[in-house]
Amino acid sequence: MTAKAHTAPALERGYARLGVLLIAPVIVVFSLVIVYPLLAAIYLSLFQIYTPTLQGSFVGVDNYMDLLTRRAFWSSLWVTLVWTFGTLSLQIVCGVGVALLLHQNLWFRSLARSLVLFPYFLSTVVAVLVWRWLFNDLYGALNHGLMQIGLIDMPVDWLGSMPNAMIGIILVGAWKYFPFVVIAVLARLQTIPEHLYEAAKIDGAGPIARFWDVTLPQLRSVLTVIILLRAIWDFKEFDLIYLLTGGGPVTSTQTLALLVYQEAFALNEMGRAAAYSVGMMLVMLVFMIVYVRHSGREG
Amino acid sequence: MSPRRLTPAVPRRAVLGGLAAGAAVAAMPRRIVAQDKVTIRWWSPQSSPEQLAAYETQMRNFEALHENVEVVFEKTSDEGYAPQLAAAFASGEVPNVVTHLPSFAVSNYWRNGLLEPFNDVIEMIGPDKFYEGANDIYEVDPGQYAGTGIGNSAANMMWLRTDLMEERGVEAPPRTWDEMLAAMEKLQGGGIYGAPLPYGRNSMTTLIFIGFIHGAGGMVFNPDLSVAIDSPETRDALEFYKAMRQYCPPGATNYSWGDSLTAFVSGACATGIYTGRVLINVNTQNPDIADHVTCVRYPTKSADIDFWTFNDFPSVFIPKAAPNMEETKQFAAFLFDPEGYIQQLHAAPGHVLPVLQTISAMPEYQNNPIIEKYSEEVDKMAAAAANGFNLGWESREHQPNAKAGEIVNSNVISEMVQRVVLNDENADTVLSETATRIEEIMNAN
Repeated sequence: MTAKAHTAPALERGYARLGVLLIAPVIVVFSLVIVYPLLAAIYLSLFQIYTPTLQGSFVGVDNYMDLLTRRAFWSSLWVTLVWTFGTLSLQIVCGVGVALLLHQNLWFRSLARSLVLFPYFLSTVVAVLVWRWLFNDLYGALNHGLMQIGLIDMPVDWLGSMPNAMIGIILVGAWKYFPFVVIAVLARLQTIPEHLYEAAKIDGAGPIARFWDVTLPQLRSVLTVIILLRAIWDFKEFDLIYLLTGGGPVTSTQTLALLVYQEAFALNEMGRAAAYSVGMMLVMLVFMIVYVRHSGREG
Repeated sequence: MSPRRLTPAVPRRAVLGGLAAGAAVAAMPRRIVAQDKVTIRWWSPQSSPEQLAAYETQMRNFEALHENVEVVFEKTSDEGYAPQLAAAFASGEVPNVVTHLPSFAVSNYWRNGLLEPFNDVIEMIGPDKFYEGANDIYEVDPGQYAGTGIGNSAANMMWLRTDLMEERGVEAPPRTWDEMLAAMEKLQGGGIYGAPLPYGRNSMTTLIFIGFIHGAGGMVFNPDLSVAIDSPETRDALEFYKAMRQYCPPGATNYSWGDSLTAFVSGACATGIYTGRVLINVNTQNPDIADHVTCVRYPTKSADIDFWTFNDFPSVFIPKAAPNMEETKQFAAFLFDPEGYIQQLHAAPGHVLPVLQTISAMPEYQNNPIIEKYSEEVDKMAAAAANGFNLGWESREHQPNAKAGEIVNSNVISEMVQRVVLNDENADTVLSETATRIEEIMNAN
């Protein structure tokens, strides 16, 4: 009895040690790829640093005071929120719509399901080049087509004036990333029990009522995760916007990611760029907290 | 007969030793070869197919002379070189030789201790071969050179379609802004725009608009580098640039070098603003207009204001942290070897003009169909480039401006243009804010 009582805690301690040992590699990797860059960014943000040499002087919280007092940060934050909300809304609407369509018994459904992923797999650089040509004022198919059908008399300046530039990046962003929503929603649609629809039909629900009362509630959890993940990814989107408009006209499409890039590599102000990215991270933390809480509840 | 014992000729211990040695040798050669084989990385933003073919010749010729050297070319871009080099310098993974960047980039890197002194290379090329004063802009301290020019360029030449001028009654190239607007009125129409001036938030808009400030008789900095952009001359330049907007394609609000060039070469615009690259592009991409193009220096506000040519003084320099410095310097000097250098210049005749007088005089350089056909235009560009300036050196009276690169990359000047021209903001407010921002950049770091 006494021997047993001694053995159990010893075993538990052994398991605990094994647990620590097994989780250690994850902790080490996590520290290297997440904790270290995070701490490095916070550390850098306290200095004024010339990027090419990484030499500089300690300035304390001056970079954060800059962040709070400069119009650039707040206007870029607003642009980022407009872009994120705009493109995410379109992604969700298009993604759910296409997923519902691909859930039906269509001819070539498998082929269509494969093809719909195409924009998501395409390199951003290639996608942007294609879209820039489509938007081109002199040779673009979009202007040419609209002029042919008589909707416009003169080519439209799609990417160089507002609000066209913002609409342009939102549209391209939605086109590029809506397949992610399609995949996730389609997977969930296939697991909704058929008897729910049968019961709704018996109760006299039409297709629209079945969508609102059966499909949408069933999609709620997956849509929450998609919205949170895509919001985080869209919030920090860089390459697509940089290549399409470069942040212009003036700073109308300059998101926080572009502002950080400009500070770090065009103005060689690595310290201020780090402060801006810490500010950006704090805003993203809101999305993260919502996501973590949601995951916890689901768990 | 007792069976003969087969005694191995080589003892087992020796075989094992041999295997171990063999394994070591198998591993060794790669390291030795890796140590012996030298790789030279060459960066340039100039990378048209013809230029790449010329670079290929230069690289292979150099490798033929240096068996242990391999030269690799890596593209950068006019808009992208600054961040790429900043990252390269910060990481220590720098290229060995960088060419065709504007001179102000060189002075900025030099002031921050990032470049290798270039005197040795100039000595290898032969200082007497250069045009007189060609290296002045790279003489960062008395007798100390940070780089050298790989060519000259006249980036804001006005290109004209003589057939359209004749057809629409424009008798002579415009000399002043008023004449320019009058010419635009006649040249625009029938699906053809007047000019592909850039209004994008990019370096082209910045660099071209600086030419217009000088064309109004103003400047961005005073000779002592105090900020001078908030002036009546800049207001005049903005007003003219705004007046020109109606003669430019709608998408000019996003134009950079490539878009502007294509707009003229394709025939969509009656005039253009670019270097001599127009010549080869017109001949290869739109030969129908090849006999009807010419160039003049871009008009100024009035005839008593002298022309101001934007010459970015395309450079060659070597980062201080570059490995294999001896071979690197040899390669930098080899870039001026006549065979490869002439092929490089011929890749876009008139685009990059020679800095070596010995090359200009060579029949191999002169015997080029484009240079022969457009000799008058090439001479005009050469003369303009010889008296050219840029933001790093706005006039002979100006001090070199090591912050010019950061001012260009910040887009502060192109944003000023966009705010006044596209957003119709008050020019006084915008100019005052722009001057403040430029002062901040000048005082930073």
